[in-house]
Amino acid sequence: MARRSVDIDDEKRSYSAIFLVSVGLLLFGAVWSIWDDNISRRPWKYYQAIFEEREQTKIADDIKQADAKLQADPAYQQATKDLTAARERLQNGETAKRLAALQDELANITVTFNDADLKLRIVKSRLEEAWYVYETAELEHRPAEDAKKHIDALNEEKTGLQKRFDDGKSRIEQINKELTEVRSEVKGLEEKLRTLSADRERLAQKLDGLTLKAGPFALPMIPKIRQVVLEDFERNNFDKPVARVDRCQSCHIGIDKAGFEDAPNPYKTHPKRQLIFGKHPSEKFGCTPCHLGQGPAVNSIEQAHGVVHHWDQPLLQGDKVQASCIKCHANVSRLEGAERIAQGEKLFEDLGCHGCHLVDGYEDLARVAPFLRRISAKVEPSWLVRWVKNPHEFRPRTPMPNFLFKEEDAMAVAAYLLSATKQEGDAWLETRPLPAGIDPNNATLVSQGKDLVDSIGCRGCHGFATDESPALIGTSKDIAPNLSKIAEKTDGRWLYYWLKGPRDYSPEARMPSLRLSDAEAKAVTSFLLTLGKKDTNQELLAKLQDPALADRGKVLVRKYGCFGCHNVTGMETESRVGAELNTFGGKTLEELFFGNRTDIVPSWDNWTFNKIKTPRTYATERIEQAMPQFDLADDDIKALRVFLASRTDLKYPPKYRPADQLKAQREVAGRRLVARYNCVGCHVVDGKGGAIRARYEDQMALAPPILNGEGAKVQANFLYGFVKEPVPIRPWLKLRMPTFGLSDKEATTIVDYFGALDNIETPFVHVIDAQIPAENVEAAKKLSSSDYFGCFSCHQQGDRKPEGPPDGWAPDLTMARDRLKPDWIITWLHDPQKLQPGTKMPSFFPGGPDDILGGDDEKQIRALRDWILTLGKPQKMQVGQAGG
Amino acid sequence: MNRKAVAMTVAALGFVVSPAFAYEGGAVSDGGTISGTVKFQGAPPARKELEVTKDKEVCGKTQKMSRDLVVSSGGGLQYAVVSITNIQKGKADNGAVVVLDQNGCEYQPHIIVVPVGKPFEIKNSDGINHNIHAFGKANTEWNKATPGFFTKQNKTLQMTFDKPEYVRVGCDVHSWMTGWFVVKDNPYYEVTDENGSYKMTDVPPGEYEVKVWHEKLGEKTTKVTVAAKGEAKADFELAPK
Repeated sequence: MARRSVDIDDEKRSYSAIFLVSVGLLLFGAVWSIWDDNISRRPWKYYQAIFEEREQTKIADDIKQADAKLQADPAYQQATKDLTAARERLQNGETAKRLAALQDELANITVTFNDADLKLRIVKSRLEEAWYVYETAELEHRPAEDAKKHIDALNEEKTGLQKRFDDGKSRIEQINKELTEVRSEVKGLEEKLRTLSADRERLAQKLDGLTLKAGPFALPMIPKIRQVVLEDFERNNFDKPVARVDRCQSCHIGIDKAGFEDAPNPYKTHPKRQLIFGKHPSEKFGCTPCHLGQGPAVNSIEQAHGVVHHWDQPLLQGDKVQASCIKCHANVSRLEGAERIAQGEKLFEDLGCHGCHLVDGYEDLARVAPFLRRISAKVEPSWLVRWVKNPHEFRPRTPMPNFLFKEEDAMAVAAYLLSATKQEGDAWLETRPLPAGIDPNNATLVSQGKDLVDSIGCRGCHGFATDESPALIGTSKDIAPNLSKIAEKTDGRWLYYWLKGPRDYSPEARMPSLRLSDAEAKAVTSFLLTLGKKDTNQELLAKLQDPALADRGKVLVRKYGCFGCHNVTGMETESRVGAELNTFGGKTLEELFFGNRTDIVPSWDNWTFNKIKTPRTYATERIEQAMPQFDLADDDIKALRVFLASRTDLKYPPKYRPADQLKAQREVAGRRLVARYNCVGCHVVDGKGGAIRARYEDQMALAPPILNGEGAKVQANFLYGFVKEPVPIRPWLKLRMPTFGLSDKEATTIVDYFGALDNIETPFVHVIDAQIPAENVEAAKKLSSSDYFGCFSCHQQGDRKPEGPPDGWAPDLTMARDRLKPDWIITWLHDPQKLQPGTKMPSFFPGGPDDILGGDDEKQIRALRDWILTLGKPQKMQVGQAGG
Repeated sequence: MNRKAVAMTVAALGFVVSPAFAYEGGAVSDGGTISGTVKFQGAPPARKELEVTKDKEVCGKTQKMSRDLVVSSGGGLQYAVVSITNIQKGKADNGAVVVLDQNGCEYQPHIIVVPVGKPFEIKNSDGINHNIHAFGKANTEWNKATPGFFTKQNKTLQMTFDKPEYVRVGCDVHSWMTGWFVVKDNPYYEVTDENGSYKMTDVPPGEYEVKVWHEKLGEKTTKVTVAAKGEAKADFELAPK
């Protein structure tokens, strides 16, 4: 049998080196994995730890401050002192003796009381038993006298015990009351100190909550992912709602905590914390709905901020974050903190960008530029060529962009416009001969015209000197044409008919009628003809007749899309020439063509800025670009860029959006109309505009009325009629509320707009005469008489006019019933200056007479209001009486 | 005086704002005077008659002449206001409550000098409705009624200006009524008389900047040195703008 060989050497071999290395490796692996898990891969843990330290330091500082404040607070000091003294008194002296005596007595009396209580209960049970014995004996006809005696004896005993019990009880109550009284001082002082130091205690508790308590140790909190889950926020590829996870606050842990405004990122408090989180609680909305970025990512700044390849929602920072406001808030123009996007949106609308670029929600906006279907009847042809070639030379602030046409292209466009509109233009001219009496050389007439221009309100929109610009689009473009060189452009005939009725020439005219008489229109025309002079190039005129040139012009008009802004003959069926911009804000660098511009750092921001600033900058030899040059100010370009950044296909679900969309829509529609007709050139609306008021600084009463609060002031029906067909209300005004020729829809939009601005829910007013107290009317009649307020020394009352010239009259009080809201009259009478600074209406209150309605100002105001409402009461009409 | 003042404390006007360099008033022992005349440069213009268009039975009793440019035959300019602009210490305010009267549909006086921060009274002696519209710029603009019953019930209106300023005042009912509130921040404000003369008394010795202001002709400033108990002169001449 062969012996199994045993390898002695193997058994003796030592493995300790291998074990040591393995253990070392394992240990290293373990340490590394903990390190990696907590530090390298979890930068947010580091941020949280740092923030925690900052927060603790801050709260500790706050506590120190609170302590210092309490130390410095004499009330607190006094209360502390009083408390010590009061506690001291409970320990020593008379009060202490009394307290001890009371406590002793309470102890003693409690013993006797308890004894009485126990015995009383026993006697009561024994009484029950005795009664049973007695009643049983009676029933069984046995002698019951003994039993009866026993009951009597027990009753006697009970009465004695009951008295002891009652006495004891009342004494105990008495002692307790006295004890409370003795201790009340201390209790009250303790309570007072608690109130005074409540803030400090709150801070201390907060500090307590920041650490983990483990027996005597205070450990730092374990860092954790702080995430907000926005239920049903997004839609997946199958259009099913899914949640969005937003973990931004894992690093930006102090974003919704006050007191870290000056800390560096990511510890900083949101710069608009109260404004933003006040309406959008951070625990409900998180950050990404506004700032975008990659919500769930936490492992690196680049990933979390979404500035990584193929993530199409990079972080929005600075002004650009306002691009998100408009996703939910339909009316950004009234939204605090959304000023930039509001500016950009307004520029987009007012410059007419929608004419060439399709953008949802803006596609139905009206054309912004003049009607050209009768242009041949309006302009001097040589001027037209110069204008088309470079409009900014004639009017540097015109919103019309420069198409950078070569001379022959400008001629071609002009030739087309003139020939295509000749028929309609000639037909219009045929029935409108040049009236006699227009003469720019007649100084009297010219000065009359100038006076009218200065007084009736033309300067609310137009500038009459090169640098005069009363109303701007953005910061650099005129809303209405600057008329300093108007005679170079057109002639007296066109001007006269235009002034008489702009809608007669152009059904789309934004210029309103100022209801000028013939003589007034002639005077104004004469004045306008002194501004600039004709510069006709006969040679050019001959060339423009060439039909081939006009044909070439038609091609150019079509190519450059003039019809986006103008109504152009022959271009009725054309569609927008510019790129659709619905998703422009989400364009990635791959989708943006930088042409030969290698000097630009490639980014969406840079591409967009340069595109708007010099629109053809990315053109190359092979790639042509057609967008014209607007010459906008850099600030306007940046605002427009914020608006463009908002054009993405991100949609937010209704439950995250503000509830009152209808109000916002009414506001937007109204704002657009107010911008279109430049109501704000004269009026202050919603706190904005009213530039013309600067001309009336010394006499604000002569400026156009301020329309803040107009919805709360006037009745809807009145306003509707008034904006359609204004009637004079304020006889002292030289300014004229123009007739804009608003359609029913437009007038409704305006009424709706003012209603929305003032949150008016019921546009109707109905005065119930039977409910007006007769004594109010009587009192107000007396108040309004010349013995008291003398209302009719200024106010008109229907046909009864006040003494003196009309410019000293005040509005007709009979209009009030159908014009004003009854509540508004009360507000007005309280303080007219508050609603219309500078008004001629003085305040009569406080200070009404003592002998009417008991001298009560409020009652007098109500009475006046009631009476004013009765003034416009319709007279009873007899049917069939009139006419015949 | 049994006059019941209407408690009319308007919040915006009720508080007193001390001017940047608060003036300190007290006894002046060796004060001098500054006096002089304000002249109109050029031929004296004729005064215009104001047309009374309303309430003629009250307002039309006397002829109304414009007071915005009143020049004597000798060229003296009335209703100019001469003041020291840079004085920090001097005589105390005399303490009298300034009263503006609306009388005969005119402001009496035409120039009403009131101390800053101190209430003054507005009276109506006409028995018809006047409103008093003060077109302040530094001060809040206000427009208060002083209706006819003020006359019968002896009511007055109490108002206060809180900043030094020349404030135009007018009545929107009677457009010809105009006047000026001069809100002073020290007691050295004098209105020229019909000869264009003025005199300031109790001026502590020192060097001062003296200003003349007129509602139509604007302002002019000059330097004046006053010796102890001395009599300094400062004449002005204002030209039409």
